[in-house]
Amino acid sequence: MRRLWVPGALVALILLLALLAPWLGLPDPVRQDVANRLVGAMPGSPLGRDEFGRDVLSRLIWGARTSLAVAFASALIAGIVGTAFGLIGAWFRGLGELLAVRSMDIILCFPPVLLALLVVTLLGPGAGTLILVLSVLYLPIFARVAYAEALSARNHDYVEAVRALGAPTGRILLRTLLPNIAAPILVQLSLAVAAAVVLESGLSFLGLGVVPPAPSWGLMIRGARATMEQAPLLLLWPCAALTLTILAMNLLCDALRDAVDPRGLALRPRRRAIDRILPGLLPEAKPGTEATLGMRGLTVEIDTPRGVIRPVEDVSFAVHPGETLAIVGESGSGKSVTATSLMGLLPPAARVVAGGAWLQEKELLRLSEPELRKLRGGAIAMVFQDPMSSLNPVHRVGDQVAEAIKAHNKGISAAEAKKRVVALFRRVGIADPENRVTTFPHEMSGGMRQRVMIAMAIANQPALLIADEPTTALDVTVQAQILELLAELKRETKTALIFITHSLSVVAEIADHVTVMYAGQVVERGKVDEVFAGPLHPYTRALLAATPEGDAAPSGIPGVVPLPTAFPLGCRFAPRCKHAAPACEAAPVPLEEVRRDRLTRCVRWRELSAKAEAAA
Amino acid sequence: MNVAVTSPPLVEAIGLSKTFVTGGLFRHGRTVQAVRGVDATVKRAEAVGVVGESGSGKSTLGRLMLGLLPPTDGAINFDGRALRDIPRAEWRALRRRMQIVFQDPYGSLDPRRRIGAQIADGLEIHNVASAGECERRVGELLVRVGLDPTHAQRFPHEFSGGQRQRIGIARALATGPDFLVADEPVSALDVSIQAQIMQLLVDLRRDLGLALLFISHDLPVVRHLCDRVIVMYLGRVMEEGPAKEIFSAPAHPYTRALISATPRLDRAQRTKRILLAGDPPSPSDPPSGCVFRTRCAHAIARCAEAAPELRPFGDARRVACIRAEDIG
Repeated sequence: MRRLWVPGALVALILLLALLAPWLGLPDPVRQDVANRLVGAMPGSPLGRDEFGRDVLSRLIWGARTSLAVAFASALIAGIVGTAFGLIGAWFRGLGELLAVRSMDIILCFPPVLLALLVVTLLGPGAGTLILVLSVLYLPIFARVAYAEALSARNHDYVEAVRALGAPTGRILLRTLLPNIAAPILVQLSLAVAAAVVLESGLSFLGLGVVPPAPSWGLMIRGARATMEQAPLLLLWPCAALTLTILAMNLLCDALRDAVDPRGLALRPRRRAIDRILPGLLPEAKPGTEATLGMRGLTVEIDTPRGVIRPVEDVSFAVHPGETLAIVGESGSGKSVTATSLMGLLPPAARVVAGGAWLQEKELLRLSEPELRKLRGGAIAMVFQDPMSSLNPVHRVGDQVAEAIKAHNKGISAAEAKKRVVALFRRVGIADPENRVTTFPHEMSGGMRQRVMIAMAIANQPALLIADEPTTALDVTVQAQILELLAELKRETKTALIFITHSLSVVAEIADHVTVMYAGQVVERGKVDEVFAGPLHPYTRALLAATPEGDAAPSGIPGVVPLPTAFPLGCRFAPRCKHAAPACEAAPVPLEEVRRDRLTRCVRWRELSAKAEAAA
Repeated sequence: MNVAVTSPPLVEAIGLSKTFVTGGLFRHGRTVQAVRGVDATVKRAEAVGVVGESGSGKSTLGRLMLGLLPPTDGAINFDGRALRDIPRAEWRALRRRMQIVFQDPYGSLDPRRRIGAQIADGLEIHNVASAGECERRVGELLVRVGLDPTHAQRFPHEFSGGQRQRIGIARALATGPDFLVADEPVSALDVSIQAQIMQLLVDLRRDLGLALLFISHDLPVVRHLCDRVIVMYLGRVMEEGPAKEIFSAPAHPYTRALISATPRLDRAQRTKRILLAGDPPSPSDPPSGCVFRTRCAHAIARCAEAAPELRPFGDARRVACIRAEDIG
């Protein structure tokens, strides 16, 4: 609301000045005084006199009345009628659409000045005629904007919901659709008012608008132009008034648009140059293992308007060749941030503040962008959740995979690349690969597209493949195919696979090791069989109970994952944990090594697992 | 979950079909047969699950049974009356007895209105409560779905996905419906929240005696929540019957494949997987005869001849497969 103050006050001031003109004690704006023609500032006339000796200030303020009345009236009429047309067209479609929206297209075909000339010739010049001309001119724009917005808004479930409640059409249009298409219409309104002020001036300047000697900004510009050389300032005043009014209107409408949206302003990431130039840390010592990827103590910070948050804190894991590590957790657990920081694809507002990740001999987190680019799609490849948005819709799928091959194999011939693409397509189980390479992404099914993504990812024999929820968007029968394919590829090529998912049963299907994340931390780690057979952390246990096998009823976990702005000091799961004790909330809980390759972050794991064993 | 076998159906679909025409004004449009000749019933206080993959027509079936979409062919009876015979004004009043809960917790609430006002919409539209009473009812509904009455003054973006889903359910319950269609109500939620919402649906059904049509692609969820299951593929019903029987001994090859494809937590229990080849065919160009035959391991020449009818199989089940007995 605070953002409304400045532009609101400015517009109010301009309107007030115009409205109060008769009471401001201004000289008569049409009284001529040829003796004082074109004089500069003089007592009683701070802005001087015009070519007929009329007071400029008075004409400016009286002129605002005409100009603004015409602009506001025409924009409002066009806005209301046009929005109604657009809504009706979008809601009823068919005949309503034809009448309400297509008829507008006819108006758009007329050149505006021609239309104005026609109407003025028929009705004679004057403010009323101007309002009519301008509202007809702006009508189609509003109708089209409202139509387009309403068409997309009507497909939302909340519109379907009020329809399901049996709401009458009028109520749906006014209470549900209108508020949701208001933002672009308000912007359009500000543009229309601004444009109408300009057009009013223009038409009056041409002699088609306000009739002299009545004051208007357009007429003032027209008059001043003739005497531009003797009194250039005369041109400045109406132009300045015009500019100021339009700017104020635009600001007000922008502020209004933000104010009517209850969601408030989107978070604007703040990017600190220093984070880009100086990573600020010395690389950590390389852990002495043969792991394909060794991650140590990854901590990521993000600047937000509410302060610095840490969506990922002290995350460590390792993946060995031919092995699958699943990272599992609910949304907000930091699993995707972990993956994107490995690829060097963190958003600008985020930065790695601690930790290291070694891929063979390279420390990924401190590589420069060109070096990272060499690795991406080469030694590390990634498969995303939504294959439709990760494939370029305007290129053939075969060319996209060939592109990935060429990027990492300089000097490879086009024919050789194509041969490899066909082989890859065959490898990932795409039937008829010779012909499939020439299809576009939209011609393929979701499962096929995901196969193409996998083909692209394995094109350069990556040492590490990161799959971020690769089957979440797919049907179960297709998911089973893709999981099978990934398992096969891993067996054959000895690629290390990091598989990010929220589904424990998918973890059970594909992974050797599992890392359970909660609120940015690793809470449990170990071999899949061991973790699922005897979970040590209450969160893992609760997750397993939420998706039980067989006839057992699933039991939910009360509450939600805390936001990174409100992580508890102690155990982050404590507020939702049924075993929480005062000790849990006292201090941060360290990740404890129970035995080799088995870790948990729970202060009570000993007594809880003893209890669970006793119960079993 | 005892359901009287003799009670008449609350909602009944008879030979329901829906064809969509895609394409422009001048081009000859492609037709997509989303739902083809489906018979389905939901009794009072019964939970019926509709499972199938994307493109199987399960969401379309839900909207048809609510009367939100006009069927191309077939009829729907609600509480013994044919929907198409009900006059418009009365139809609107009847709407309060059938409601819907959506999948997407973000798209299903109007982002610009306070949630209290959205929950009260149904009460206002049907004039069932005064302004003061509305407020009280909204408070009660919020408590009923596990939220706080003070939340009524907030906007949808102030809630998490699970809470939004609760709000969507409160909105659907406001008018006191008998029949609720839940279109994938938990598939967009985290597992821990899924179980919360499922528990809420179970409680509501028990306390309010709601008839529920539960549309989902997630078999374990359906198994837990529903008395009866309808398995759909490419707009047709493949198998229908009590949930326990279908999940323990699926009769149709498609149901078997679907159950076997569902990832299992317990590796020991995992059976040999039936991997279906390829993707489901396009609903605009379905195979002749049995629509599943192109991916079916048991398909024979006779499967291509005619669409198999949904015939009784055992006591309470119906199956659309000519080889159901052979492959047992």
